[in-house]
Amino acid sequence: METDWSKVLEVFGSGIIGVFMVMFLLQILTQLSTRVIDFVENMGKGNAVVSAPKEAVAKEKA
Amino acid sequence: MPELIAPIAGNVWKILVAVGDKVELDDELVILEALKMETPIYCDDAGTVTAIKVKEGDAVNEEDVLIVID
Amino acid sequence: MLDILRELIFTSGFVSLTGGNIVMWVISFVLLYLAIKKQYEPLLLLPIAFGILVVNLPLTFLMDPEHGLLWFFYHYGIELDIIPPLIFLGLGAMIDFGPLISNPKMLLLGAGAQAGLYVTFFAAVLFGFDLQEAGSIAIIGGADGPTTIYLTSKLAPHLLGATAVSAYAYMALVPIIQPPIMKLLTTDAERKIVMTKLRPVSKLQKICFPIITAMTIMLIVPPAAPLISMLMLGNLFKESGVVERLTNAASNELMNIVTIFLGLSIGATMTAATFLSPKVLFIFFLGLFAFAVSTAAGLIMAKTMNLFLKDKINPLIGAAGVSAVPMAARCVHKVGSEANRRNYLLMFAMGPNVAGVIGTVVAAAILLKNLG
Repeated sequence: METDWSKVLEVFGSGIIGVFMVMFLLQILTQLSTRVIDFVENMGKGNAVVSAPKEAVAKEKA
Repeated sequence: MPELIAPIAGNVWKILVAVGDKVELDDELVILEALKMETPIYCDDAGTVTAIKVKEGDAVNEEDVLIVID
Repeated sequence: MLDILRELIFTSGFVSLTGGNIVMWVISFVLLYLAIKKQYEPLLLLPIAFGILVVNLPLTFLMDPEHGLLWFFYHYGIELDIIPPLIFLGLGAMIDFGPLISNPKMLLLGAGAQAGLYVTFFAAVLFGFDLQEAGSIAIIGGADGPTTIYLTSKLAPHLLGATAVSAYAYMALVPIIQPPIMKLLTTDAERKIVMTKLRPVSKLQKICFPIITAMTIMLIVPPAAPLISMLMLGNLFKESGVVERLTNAASNELMNIVTIFLGLSIGATMTAATFLSPKVLFIFFLGLFAFAVSTAAGLIMAKTMNLFLKDKINPLIGAAGVSAVPMAARCVHKVGSEANRRNYLLMFAMGPNVAGVIGTVVAAAILLKNLG
């Protein structure tokens, strides 16, 4: 049986590059989603933090 | 007052000291079990054990206080 | 009276027994010993070993197409690719992707270890295996049982027994195979590196991760769909927190049930005629090679990343990029704590470890796309 070396190289190369590409893309997407979710969650929390001092200030005034 | 904190989440497998024991740096104080592996936790300071915050079999999270040392 | 006795003897299995059958019995007894006495992956090895034993008892026709009991298990479970994805469903329901989400760079380590797999592909072709066989052997380096079975059943079904058994055997041997390679490729100072704390991961992130991952991988490499969809569905069951019954069913009952059929079917493919060939020895050798090269590739990847990172990672965790979950992570933890007893690498190593599962599936899908 004759080994088709160009096919071997193709599988070898496309495999390594392919796996790295997919995993790298996944990394970017995960980081991106983490940023977005952090932002959304912090917005909720951020408001709470901002409103808390206001209440304190209001209490002091009273 | 130094505290021994859990470096990883897991279950308390064995507690090797009792309140009042004198401990040295690098003594094994607690063995945690995580992913079916026993991980010994070593003492960071010398002193006397004043309180043990967990029991054997407890589930602990990372950063939980295990033992207080004076 | 004598005739009846003679007929009994001539229709008994003894007459049709071959030397090969007896060799297979011995193999089966060795595996039974390893499973029961040494407890090497007993959940799988025990049914596999018994499967080997019974198919090598002649005239039972257990593996006869369209007739035998074990043939039906094999045909419906493995030939039609039902069992490996169901195992992945259960696996997904058990895996915590938290350490990976908290440090997504670990995904690259999961990819790094797969480089070893392609090196082995090359080596297997040099040894004279055809391309399909070489792909099936290479995937052993991913150290992932269900993926190995899935790919082999598609590319080279006649090698199924050998690749599956060597994948599971080397997974069980992680604590013996990996540490020497890890020590060879890292310096003492590197092993002592204590990593910075993982940032906490919110529930929403854990819910989004399986959805994003499933969509991304299936869009890019559609052949990965059966495995990755089930893996991520299982994980979504777990992280959503609203279907605890399904999570438990997938990770306990269903997993146990399919494990029985998986083990038996794998064992049943190992008849003397198919298993006893010099090729099989090469497969075990190349499997070990694959495993070692994947470990080394993971370590080298981690060291390479350290050249660019401000917060250095401990290169040992690269070795966890092979997907043997959680054996490889445990092994990293152990070697790390030998170098510095206050180094608790377990959770850090779980990141590349679960990334390795994803990486192996992607690698398998790409092989399937090119060779199938």
